[in-house]
Amino acid sequence: MKSENLKRHLRSTLEFAGFTVPAVIVIFAFVELPFLMSVLYSFTKWNGLDKVPVFIGFANYMEIFTNDPNMMQALGFTLLFTVFMVFFTNVIAMLLAVALDSKVRGKNVLRAAFYVPNIISMIIIGYIWRFIFSKGFDSFYALTKIPAFQLSWLGDAKLSFVSVVIVSVWQAIGFYMVIYIAGLQTVPKDIIEAAMIDGARSSTRFFRITMPLILPSITVCLFYSLSSALKTFDVIFSLTFGGPGTATTSIALDIYKTAFSDSRFGYGSAKSVLLFFLILLVTVFQLSLFKKREVEA
Amino acid sequence: MKRSLAWGALSVALFLVAIIYLYPLILVVINSLKTFTEIMTDVTALPTAPDFQNFVNAFRLLEYPSLCLNTLIATAIGTIGVVLLSSMAGYRLSRTKTRASWFVFIICVAPMMIPFQSFMIALVKIAKILHLTGSVYGLGVIYWGLGVPLSLFMYHGFVKSVPTELDDCARIDGCSPLRAFFQVIFPLLQPVTMSVIVINAMWMWNDFLLPLLVLSGEKKAMTLQLAAYNFFGQYKIEWNYAMAGVLLTVTPAIIFYIALQKHIIKGMTAGAVKA
Amino acid sequence: MKRKMLAVVCLVFSALLLFAQTSKPVVNKNPVTLKLMFFSPELTDQYNDMAATYKAETGNTLDITVLQADYVTVLRAKLNSGDIPDVFMSSAYADNDTYKDYCYDLTNEDFMKQLEPTSMTGVTVNGRVIGYPFLVQSHSFIYNKKVFADAGITVLPRTLAEYDAVCKKLKAKGIQPFATGFKEWWVLPQTAWQVMAPIKDSFGGDYAKFVDQLNAGTVKFSTLKEMNTVFDVLDLIKNNGGPKPMESDFNDQCSMLASGKVAMIHQGNWAEDTIRKTNPTIDIGYLLGPVSGPADKAGIMFDSNQTIRIAKDSKNLKAALDWLRWLTTSDYGKNWIPGKILQLSPIKGAKASKAELAQATMDLLAKKTPNYSWYYQRFPTGTEQGLGIILQGYCAGMTNRQDTLKALDSSYKKIVDASK
Repeated sequence: MKSENLKRHLRSTLEFAGFTVPAVIVIFAFVELPFLMSVLYSFTKWNGLDKVPVFIGFANYMEIFTNDPNMMQALGFTLLFTVFMVFFTNVIAMLLAVALDSKVRGKNVLRAAFYVPNIISMIIIGYIWRFIFSKGFDSFYALTKIPAFQLSWLGDAKLSFVSVVIVSVWQAIGFYMVIYIAGLQTVPKDIIEAAMIDGARSSTRFFRITMPLILPSITVCLFYSLSSALKTFDVIFSLTFGGPGTATTSIALDIYKTAFSDSRFGYGSAKSVLLFFLILLVTVFQLSLFKKREVEA
Repeated sequence: MKRSLAWGALSVALFLVAIIYLYPLILVVINSLKTFTEIMTDVTALPTAPDFQNFVNAFRLLEYPSLCLNTLIATAIGTIGVVLLSSMAGYRLSRTKTRASWFVFIICVAPMMIPFQSFMIALVKIAKILHLTGSVYGLGVIYWGLGVPLSLFMYHGFVKSVPTELDDCARIDGCSPLRAFFQVIFPLLQPVTMSVIVINAMWMWNDFLLPLLVLSGEKKAMTLQLAAYNFFGQYKIEWNYAMAGVLLTVTPAIIFYIALQKHIIKGMTAGAVKA
Repeated sequence: MKRKMLAVVCLVFSALLLFAQTSKPVVNKNPVTLKLMFFSPELTDQYNDMAATYKAETGNTLDITVLQADYVTVLRAKLNSGDIPDVFMSSAYADNDTYKDYCYDLTNEDFMKQLEPTSMTGVTVNGRVIGYPFLVQSHSFIYNKKVFADAGITVLPRTLAEYDAVCKKLKAKGIQPFATGFKEWWVLPQTAWQVMAPIKDSFGGDYAKFVDQLNAGTVKFSTLKEMNTVFDVLDLIKNNGGPKPMESDFNDQCSMLASGKVAMIHQGNWAEDTIRKTNPTIDIGYLLGPVSGPADKAGIMFDSNQTIRIAKDSKNLKAALDWLRWLTTSDYGKNWIPGKILQLSPIKGAKASKAELAQATMDLLAKKTPNYSWYYQRFPTGTEQGLGIILQGYCAGMTNRQDTLKALDSSYKKIVDASK
């Protein structure tokens, strides 16, 4: 009897392993192992080229906290960027989703239209928008004489922040819109209709009834948008390269510059370890907050 | 009557917004049909006579067919692998309610928070050791590791909506667990599989930094994005060539999206939302 | 439905395969294929032309990867992972140290004697030659001769005050004096450090001494009086650089100068090709850049910086050296830089390039006009971008002069410490 139990236990363990080990192996080999190697490098002084890195303990981490204005600037930028990015992306995507989940004509075409920027590579997005901001805006100004087109959207420290947010939001909206549409489709229509009959105003209907029902979508969208905004790299890399000066340098870009242009690979690794913990902290906090709400709702 | 008028107005308004939204891309189309001098004088004007020479040149210079095939190979290998690995693991992890299972789940999804830039150099080192550099096949394999976490997360959530009775049915039939999974469960996961395919395929098709690091830039192992990037570098000032190049690289992705659009929303409904 | 889609996919796939097959080149019987990693993508056609000729003459294949902004990243990832190209490029001077573990010592190679000794300074460390100077280049202010003539400017400016006067004259005629190039982090240091070039006179005419003291911290940017002129020149360019001075990039500089919309840009002779793409018949020349010192010190920057390195661990070491020998001694190789790339060659007795800026450089050198080496390449690797970004912040009005100087010092110190 006991051996029978053991056998069953063994079989289910084997089955569990058979299903999960392949995934664990590839994730470990291509993400976690290299990341652990970076963690090791973070305790060294290494330019990424010399054959032997020099172990220096926590000196890199000390430097980040005591003597790195660039990193602090990048941190400030990234947090502010994240706030704007998460807010605008989710609000606009939700509004579009509500509009495109209705009886509006041609909604399939419209859904595709808003999704298109999301399927274009970042390299090309950056290239297109550089073209718009330089050549395009010159032509718009000549055409309309609206002074806004003559402002330096990529050259002014404050405006370049706005530009980076605009392009990032523009690119991301489609993806989140689809998730919200998906969420709205799970909302039973009879509940809404019942509320309509009760004479609830449309805004009340939305906030009181629809919102709680699509809370799972909101949780997921916030999670995706938070983690991708904190990691933001591509748009900035190809649009402003963090400039002018360091005005639009995100943490990920700062890490890239530290490792590759300053040749401080060990130091860059230390920064990336901290970025990982920052993202972990923020997203876990957000998830636990919303999971609790979901249960209550 | 009044109501349908309101819907019509909303529809018109949304189409206008969509046009403004896509105006940057419309400009790309317009300018890809212009000559160099026309681009330099006015970007917004329509081309006097549409000139397809830019496309002919970009098609030739990008070596479009062979690079398209390369990108397709890497994307296909990557996507298929991600779907198989993450559906299997996501299913099992969702069904097994033990502490070990929870731990493995965390191990599998935590990498979503690791920024790619922070481990890419070491990744190249590992790829080299495993002989995965310099070929699009190797690139596809590396994508497995990078793509599984998010996809597994999506499968993990979706599996909850599949009744557990089905597992038992399959087992009673006496199939091997793997066969039972692929014959009974996997087809039921189709909606989320569609989303996983679209998300991964789009990302791999458009990815730039990893191919840049892993493929040594040889023509025989180059992806469209890399070629487009080099193309921008080489024809810095010839915006008209570059715009045609942009359209050539983007079109396959757009076609792919439109073909699968219907399934994507279904998959999201079921997948991401319940995660 | 599904079957239809499958059929379409198969069709597309096989069509692509067919296309891919037909576009493949003839199979080479000779096994030697060299892997090369180059930058300067604008020279891609010339690189390919050279590779094609080399293949026709010797049967060996050159597999050249050409990259731009990401060059350093990719090179590092490759060197680091052991996926080492047989031949790669880098800068001279400080990069000698950065890539010291990977460069083959060329000192005793016969063909190196064919190169001008003056071009070897940047690749020589303790008497050993560890790189091959690829191009000789010059940079300073480039001007559109017709625009100057139309504005009635006959005496070319040399000092800050003269440049200022020229700007006023141009503006009075409604012409924007400069396209800044300030969006590119590499244009700013080139512009700025040229102003400081005569500083070597305070160090016995030796830049190495200046940089040694800078590295040791005994000389700082914040105490160099020359920095004031540097800021003055940057301000002048910015204030006369149109409504969006911080958005001007290399392309913008070239096309604006070519179309006569601006009169001057700070660039090098490599820009000529791009300028002529917009205006093939343009007449351009060099102006002497204003410096922190007497007017007769104004000059141009002239050096060989772009360097070809042979990887010392290459399996094809001999083949790589053979290629370099061919590049130096064959008829095609000798003509490649002056005849095809249209720049200046470091090979002794090379033909003069027929490019206007290359000729202008040779004329200025012949007239004994001051010319300075690219001494800022002696600053540790990484400072070019690091300091460039700080100067960009200054130009964008994010930091004042004092803070900029502080930032320059602290960024420089960090990179020096890291490279020790």
